[in-house]
Amino acid sequence: MAAPAELAAVLESRGWTAEPATAHPVSGVAESRWVAPGNLVAAAEAAKEAGYFLESMTCVDRLDPHGVFELLYTFNRWDAPARVAYRVWVPKDVAVPTLSGVYGIAAWNEREAWELFGVAFAGHPNLTWLLLPEGTEFRPLLKSFTQPPPSIYDDSLTASP
Amino acid sequence: MSAPISTEPLDTYTLNMGPQHPSTHGVLRLKLTLRGERLVAVEPIIGYSHRAHEKMAENRSYAQFLPNTSRQDYLSGMIYNFAWVEAVEKLAGIAVPERALVARVILAEFNRISSHLLWIGAFLLDLGAATPFLYTFDDREAIVFLLESVTGSRLTYCTGRFGGLAKDLDADFPRRARAVLAKLKARWPELVDLIEDNVIFLQRTRGVGVITLEQCRTWGVTGPMLRACGVPYDIRKVEPYGAYPRFQFDIPTRPEGDVFARYMVRILEMAQSVRIIEQALEALPEGPILAAGSSGVKKRLKPPVGTQYYAVESARGAYGILIVSEGGTEPYRAKFRTPSYANLAVMQDVMPGTMVADAVAILGSTDIVLPEIDR
Repeated sequence: MAAPAELAAVLESRGWTAEPATAHPVSGVAESRWVAPGNLVAAAEAAKEAGYFLESMTCVDRLDPHGVFELLYTFNRWDAPARVAYRVWVPKDVAVPTLSGVYGIAAWNEREAWELFGVAFAGHPNLTWLLLPEGTEFRPLLKSFTQPPPSIYDDSLTASP
Repeated sequence: MSAPISTEPLDTYTLNMGPQHPSTHGVLRLKLTLRGERLVAVEPIIGYSHRAHEKMAENRSYAQFLPNTSRQDYLSGMIYNFAWVEAVEKLAGIAVPERALVARVILAEFNRISSHLLWIGAFLLDLGAATPFLYTFDDREAIVFLLESVTGSRLTYCTGRFGGLAKDLDADFPRRARAVLAKLKARWPELVDLIEDNVIFLQRTRGVGVITLEQCRTWGVTGPMLRACGVPYDIRKVEPYGAYPRFQFDIPTRPEGDVFARYMVRILEMAQSVRIIEQALEALPEGPILAAGSSGVKKRLKPPVGTQYYAVESARGAYGILIVSEGGTEPYRAKFRTPSYANLAVMQDVMPGTMVADAVAILGSTDIVLPEIDR
């Protein structure tokens, strides 16, 4: 198993890292690297080969002011502190390659990012609702979202006083 | 007009399990595809208790979010409550008095034991053994009563404060805590007689639902489920936090990876928690429980800009909190990496090929809490 610094070095030597898109710091991780969306699958495969599991994936709404989503993947392995973060800067309406072929759990993480933010994942086998009711059309974790449209199942909103 | 004739093969059929099946512990639906009595595919359908905790975190101050934390995992809520408090302390650079650090360990470990006890009772009930449930709930009640005397809550604790605890442990607490530990220890030999010497239990759990290390890695399995595959991965050891580094304890593992191994790991873990509590009660320092002059729930708390990942070991595995701060009084984004999420997802890979009669045993052995998966 490779230490975080070794994994980061692999990413850099193969040219899979990208320029930092923002100075916003990440702490609680041993190494953090920016990865271009096109290199994400190769970089995740390198992590898996080095013995890492996909610990978490977070989508952050940075549409205002950057017009992008930030995807923050953390990888970890089963010995001493070894958390590695991959940060991906995704312009709105650009599909991210799916990691579900590398890590099974990514399929669920990506469904969550899709239903809550509207991020599309290219090649996903089953990109559908995971936590929200089927057919939900709003994206509740967007900063622009304030209130859901009235539900047809909820008569408390329409009942006459 | 004749209806189109289906050319689909009729050798498989679908069985819907849940969302109110008792072994799903919360509301989970499993779509089982069966060929005869063998599972061909398993699709967990979740989201029934999605309450949007991550959105709620963005709409309230760090302190206002405190009551939400223990409602993610209502069986080990203390650990989740302290995890949020510690993540914010780390993000904002808040110091914690020694007494609070040790008291947190005591309360969290008691909560871990009570969570495991509930699992043992409920799991055995799933397998058709009703008696152990009565024993473990009797033991668990003693712990719940003890925690209630400190926190005021039986289940959804909210006793963590930024920089300490809401309420100090009273002078009589160590005596009552030791009495509870003595009761637990006296009961365990009986539980062993009742469960581990029961041939039906052994036959239903040994060699059933084996998880491989490769599956653990691609699905991100953690906690007792991973330790039952022989990997000594415990956040309390690999990424020590709070007062844990100063106490002696082992990480129990079993090599088999089956349902029985997951049961044994949790049994052995309870003994380790008792060991930690005994040391912590000895080492409990005098002093303030909250930094002087602090309310622990500062309304205008503004952590600096940055993203903080913070992990703890919950009763179910590695729980991670990721907070994105833009310098405001509310988190810009909060993400909860809950252990049961991965521990349930792996079932899509583990359960196919097993017998439908084992489905309940395998699912029950994961110790999932659905509100924690759905958040």
